[in-house]
Amino acid sequence: MRTLIVLYDQRCDLCRRIQAWLISQPKYVDLAFVAAGSAEARRRLPQLDHGATMTELTVISDGGAVYRGAKAWLMCLWALREYRGWALELGSPEMMPLARRFIAWVSRNRFKFGYFSGPASKEP
Amino acid sequence: MNHTVITYILYLAASSALTIWVARTLFKNGRVFLVDVFHGNEALADSVNHLLVVGFYLINLGYVSLALKLGYSIESTRESIEALSWKVGLVLLVLGGMHFFNLYVFSRIRRRAILPDAPPPVGPDACTVVQEA
Repeated sequence: MRTLIVLYDQRCDLCRRIQAWLISQPKYVDLAFVAAGSAEARRRLPQLDHGATMTELTVISDGGAVYRGAKAWLMCLWALREYRGWALELGSPEMMPLARRFIAWVSRNRFKFGYFSGPASKEP
Repeated sequence: MNHTVITYILYLAASSALTIWVARTLFKNGRVFLVDVFHGNEALADSVNHLLVVGFYLINLGYVSLALKLGYSIESTRESIEALSWKVGLVLLVLGGMHFFNLYVFSRIRRRAILPDAPPPVGPDACTVVQEA
């Protein structure tokens, strides 16, 4: 696996903030950011259900493996040099349910976080 | 020589011997571990092993040296044995702590070394076709 395509929600501040952070981190696997539901996303992933990508983070490997929600977040962490250990730990059967609940909660409230954390940095 | 000086000499001898024993154990058994971590690069493993053991010696002998002073004079063999037991006990605890810290460092190094080849933590939800960028 060389690249992960990350379909992120361009409308939310928190998502753009996290995107900027992910870009700044050293990586084992490249992350290619594509706005969810955009023409570019539809062109590169013609068979994907793009409606679903608007509600939860979706990550697709260059081999075509699709990861959604909590799994997608873990894949992003797994791509980072500093956080792969965390991803492996959070992905263990004991931790996964907790990680899933936390991520679902953040995901549901993502527009509120953006509101409280001030203006997001401009897109690169 | 009075009791105090004899106690000091015995303390230094016992502490040094214990430090050398633990350091040698670490040196001998840590090597296999490091060779594995550095993917069979024995020269690098030996080098890191040596550096770790030197640090181990410095910290332990430094502690032994600093903790030498008793602060009171010893008048009998009984007092000497009691003081020795207290001092050597402390040295043993410090050595134990250092030893476990070293094991922790080894395991950290090893864990980091296997990360680049670690597979994804989760399986995919589905498969799809990806067009070139």
